[in-house]
Amino acid sequence: MQVPEDYFSLFSLERRFAIDKKALAANFRALQNENHPDRVAADDEQAKLLAVQKSSLLNDAYATLKSPLARAGYLLKLRGVDVEGVSQGDLDMAVLLEQMELREQVAEAPAGEAGLAILSPIKRDIENRIAARELSFVANLEADDLVSAKRVFHELQFLHKLFQEIEVSEEKRLGY
Amino acid sequence: MALLQIQEPGGKPARPKHRLAVGIDLGTTNSLVAARCGLKVETLPDEGGEHLLPSIVHYGSDGLISVGKKAKTFALTDPKNTLVSVKRMLGKGLSELRQLGHYLPYEFDAARDDTAPAVLTRAGSKDPVSVSSDILSVLKARAASALKGELEGAVITVPAYFNDAQRQQTKEAAELAGINVLRLLNEPTAAAVAYGLDSADQGNIVVFDLGGGTFDVSLLSLTRGVFEVLSTGGDTNLGGDDFDRLLATWLIAQSGDAAASEGEALQLANDLKHQLSDVEEVKFTMGDYRGSLSREQFAEIAKEPLSRAMMICRRSLRDARLELDEIDNVILVGGSTRMPLVRAAVAEFFGREPLTSIDPDKVVAVGAGIQADVLIGNKSDSDFLLLDVTPLSLGIETMGELVEKIIPRNTTIPVSRAQEFTTFKDGQTAMALHVLQGEREAVADCRSLARFTLRGIPSMVAGAAKIRVTFQVDADGLLSVSAEETLTGVKSEIQVKPSYGLEAETIESMLQASQENARADMELRSLQEAKVDAMQLIDAVAAAVIADPQLLEEGEEQRINQGVAALAAALENGSSAEVSDLTAALNQISGDFAARRMDAHISRALQGESI
Repeated sequence: MQVPEDYFSLFSLERRFAIDKKALAANFRALQNENHPDRVAADDEQAKLLAVQKSSLLNDAYATLKSPLARAGYLLKLRGVDVEGVSQGDLDMAVLLEQMELREQVAEAPAGEAGLAILSPIKRDIENRIAARELSFVANLEADDLVSAKRVFHELQFLHKLFQEIEVSEEKRLGY
Repeated sequence: MALLQIQEPGGKPARPKHRLAVGIDLGTTNSLVAARCGLKVETLPDEGGEHLLPSIVHYGSDGLISVGKKAKTFALTDPKNTLVSVKRMLGKGLSELRQLGHYLPYEFDAARDDTAPAVLTRAGSKDPVSVSSDILSVLKARAASALKGELEGAVITVPAYFNDAQRQQTKEAAELAGINVLRLLNEPTAAAVAYGLDSADQGNIVVFDLGGGTFDVSLLSLTRGVFEVLSTGGDTNLGGDDFDRLLATWLIAQSGDAAASEGEALQLANDLKHQLSDVEEVKFTMGDYRGSLSREQFAEIAKEPLSRAMMICRRSLRDARLELDEIDNVILVGGSTRMPLVRAAVAEFFGREPLTSIDPDKVVAVGAGIQADVLIGNKSDSDFLLLDVTPLSLGIETMGELVEKIIPRNTTIPVSRAQEFTTFKDGQTAMALHVLQGEREAVADCRSLARFTLRGIPSMVAGAAKIRVTFQVDADGLLSVSAEETLTGVKSEIQVKPSYGLEAETIESMLQASQENARADMELRSLQEAKVDAMQLIDAVAAAVIADPQLLEEGEEQRINQGVAALAAALENGSSAEVSDLTAALNQISGDFAARRMDAHISRALQGESI
């Protein structure tokens, strides 16, 4: 395994947001198959240590590219954009209002299983919003408009976070 | 010219021979060992033809150590010197052991540290590691005589929910028995391996493991020889014993014999349960009462634990982000899955017949045996690979007694993750690191794994130092943590070897609580973050007043002090909103003073003074 230029080239993928998930998974498994510490379980400590490092890198790279949000953040990072910090100027007022509106809808869902029927269309709505944002993220990135791409990335972060929170409240209702 | 091959004297022989490696299922009740015999991997019997070795050790008055069936005969007559269910004791502190209560008729060694308990026997002080090692030694000897050779290594299975301490001690027990551990393998994964190679295609697999007292369910995906664990879940208080207990209660109610001893009823329940695995209906007598029990009736009696198990299955599916129709195979593990009503419930829930061709008591050992054979190098690289996950999140304590998760639950291992932290106070030269395991946000609700300190951080203003904390979990699920100040390279690290383990039940209740308390945690987090901001502001203001008293205006110091006092009071018992409001207020009160200091500093800097 060569030290890769970036996670995309590690899995022989083009450096772009739209990726072939099947190829990603297949290449990941093939590389793990070669580099996993289990392949050197009967060898010396040095070989094991090296294998743990390689295998960890593969797991990290795979997790980054598999998640659309992490992949978007990684693409920005490769272009030299700091995605860790978010300042007021990075966000539109309209987006904050959208967030509040969605959160109100979630808060209004009744407790218990009755709320599930309310939450499910909200989830679909958020998924649609995410899909639309992903399209504009790609367009911004292609147009080299990194400022807009970063803004859309933070909007995606909000939507994903809200989506996760809805899942937690669904699980609570299901008694998990 | 052909190159000559030179064999180093005493080196490896030119032609590799078959290397001996075994799989060991070190169980709570029974243990097994399996190895490749010809084409198949099978469990190995003892001289009497028994495959299951009861996990019981007796220390005799004649200095003899007996393990297994023979030791079991001493359980009633000599309980203090007969150690049973020692697996439940692995990786635990004394206080945790005491909570196990009825399992433990033993006397603990008062001379031992609370974190490393041991039982006093006539053969001396015995800790769970050495008792487990006595069991492993018997299995090792059994394998050596059956395979006619020296063992080169073993794969040992552990429950998926075993934490770091429990895994460490399992490994130590094996090393003490002179066994080279190739890998610790999660039990459900081992079961999937036992079946996986026969089908050798791809698909999603559920491993449904219902034992005497515990239930585990795991979801795995298999793609061209690579197993990926997608999620794990379970309940350490759900098993065949629950079925016995419910049936016993029913029997007592039916017979109307309130005087019937609970022990007798339980024994009868257990017998009837086993009989119902072969016949549709059984007749029984209890005292003067004659009755019958059908499978249907039993299913009704056992409804509650069964539906609980199915609920856990549903949750694991959700964790793995899979739908029911995406499941290709269901594997049954554990003696309790012999019950037809369990099989029927599983078949109904998953919409397919579960795989049962391998004995559910032996399937874990067989899988471990197959994996051992692969790891020792008897098979080519292309065969198969296991990618396991972390059962619980790992994190570090941050300001405000909150846990910052560094490796979330269900992350594929091995894994290495780093996060940067910074100093909280000006001139801070050391940083205490507290490593935690669990899902909750507050430190008090998670399990402490280790503490260590990074010293020698160069003195800088708060927030300037960059401390990179790296968590690394190896393929056995064992954690090590290191911290480094990135500007100077000052480093400190620790291999996490906690002396206390996490009770599997505790893990589950922590998981449950994390969901129930997600909201409370968020409120707590915002309060704690507000407190951190407030404390930083108080520190900064106090430092400024001391540094530049000449810049204070008439009465300003008093106003600032009042603001500080009000905020300090809110820190004691205020809500997050109060703390935030008073922080903002103090910011305002001290704002002019801060602006004057800034101006003064700039003008001094312009005049060439150092600041």
